[in-house]
Amino acid sequence: MYGFEAMTFNIHGGYLEAIVRGHRSGLLTAADYNNLCQCETLDDIKMHLTATEYGPYLQNEPSPLHTTTIVEKCTLKLVDEYKHMLCQATEPLSTFLEYITYGHMIDNVVLIVTGTLHERDVQELLEKCHPLGMFDSIATLAVAQNMRELYRLVLVDTPLAPYFSECITSEDLDDMNIEIMRNTLYKAYLEDFYRFCQKLGGATAEIMSDLLAFEADRRAVNITINSIGTELTRDDRRKLYSSFGLLYPYGHEELAVCEDIDQVRGVMEKYPPYQPIFSKLSYGESQMLDKAFYEEEVKRLCLSFEQQFHYGVFFAYMRLKEQEIRNLMWISECVAQNQKSRVHDSVVFIF
Amino acid sequence: MLGLFIFIENMISFELFYMEHINLIQKTEFGPLEYLMDEENEGANTQPSTMEAEDKTLVFVDSLDDYLIIIQTLSSTLRQGWLELASARHSMGASRINTALLSLKHHSAATTVELDYYENAGSTTKSPQFSLCKWTSTDDENSSLKKENMEEDEQLKENPSSRDSENQESSLESSKGSETTASPHKTENHKERSKVLSVFGTLVSPKLRASQLSFETALETLVEIANVRSSILETHDTLVKDMKNTKE
Repeated sequence: MYGFEAMTFNIHGGYLEAIVRGHRSGLLTAADYNNLCQCETLDDIKMHLTATEYGPYLQNEPSPLHTTTIVEKCTLKLVDEYKHMLCQATEPLSTFLEYITYGHMIDNVVLIVTGTLHERDVQELLEKCHPLGMFDSIATLAVAQNMRELYRLVLVDTPLAPYFSECITSEDLDDMNIEIMRNTLYKAYLEDFYRFCQKLGGATAEIMSDLLAFEADRRAVNITINSIGTELTRDDRRKLYSSFGLLYPYGHEELAVCEDIDQVRGVMEKYPPYQPIFSKLSYGESQMLDKAFYEEEVKRLCLSFEQQFHYGVFFAYMRLKEQEIRNLMWISECVAQNQKSRVHDSVVFIF
Repeated sequence: MLGLFIFIENMISFELFYMEHINLIQKTEFGPLEYLMDEENEGANTQPSTMEAEDKTLVFVDSLDDYLIIIQTLSSTLRQGWLELASARHSMGASRINTALLSLKHHSAATTVELDYYENAGSTTKSPQFSLCKWTSTDDENSSLKKENMEEDEQLKENPSSRDSENQESSLESSKGSETTASPHKTENHKERSKVLSVFGTLVSPKLRASQLSFETALETLVEIANVRSSILETHDTLVKDMKNTKE
């Protein structure tokens, strides 16, 4: 039941909602993507993007361009927009905005730990970290030998500290433990974000519940598919699924025992929201599943803008922007590799 | 992967040098192939040797054609591999697939190339023969394992959808445990593949596994190219020698 947000939301959130809706109208359209897909070189892409809101970030980049440069500069724009919104936000919106970046923080922690395990230079690893997930003591992650040290030396003072309770062990860090740590942290983060949104109530709780439930379900499917043929046991796999979402708990029980993509399909087709996604795929195929999930996610994110006076628009905008950057990355790779016929394999139009 | 790229670059530059060399031989030493037809007109005494030379020339040209086809196959396999890698990076994210995660720890190569020399029939020279030893990081050089690898790879090439089902097969093997019909070598190969891929994490996208298979196929094609080139050079040398003898 909504709580008369229309009367009080604009006092603290009106300005930023207007800002984020303005940013939303700056997202690339299908016409922009069609122009970009016809580019012959990365310099052509740069020329087209200079005419968009990415202009100031790309115009001074020297040729020859690299695909990672385009992605880096587009990400920089997202970071600037986010930081502007964060510094203008008051509670509880500021906490909500911080929650959006915890996923990137987890990715950065795992990147540093994995790279250190592989004897890589910390500076090199820091350059590869996502800017939205940076925190002050991130460089000291390199000194930790196990998860207990990781927590005690570095992460206890970060927002990820509460998520570590489930995965603190004294076992040395190796590839499997790191993977389990990544997924356990992400599971704890999603559940915590879900509880926070439920506490906010109103339209925010309703819209964010739907979006986060979809995220949890998609994670469950990806974990299942990626763990097929690996040493991850069924019990370990089950432990990585979040405890909310449409698939919780019966779908998770069925997914935990799946041993091929067709069994996963059989489980997911029982759920009406996911049946159209899997009906597009042919039997035994998993290549187009990512694109199908992204398309569904974009549809739900765009719908969140149809309602006012809730925080879901901020989450939706950040995710739509990340999708746009993924699209640009894919188009750039296809152009750089002279594979323009494959460009529509992974581009998801937003409008 | 960088080593693979450098190897390919060297092979392609050598190929260009070699093709120029062939053109030069045709233009300066032997002239066009009509020279061989002129040989036919000289009389019955020279006919068998001319036919033999024609046969060898045909073999040589066929080998060149095969060689060019294999080069094209390599190019398309590499293109596919790079695109699959980009697709995996798109799916998993740039923080999970990047060069900063490659291990700098000292470790043995997962795959090695062996070079043997064998003597040709009717010739005093020895020709090199390259062979690939895949997934030998455990120092197991059992030749039956190599044969299993090659058979498995041929099956994978014939059936692209079995790239997904390969993982499923191995998972069935490991979960059932007592399956005796599945080859233990296939499971070993799968473990070695997963071990190599674990630099990017244990739970990786099927797209990354597909790109790994593409690059594996490209490596096999490279070895095949090296062997075909060795046989072309050998045929060419024989041809040149025969031509010189005929001239004398």
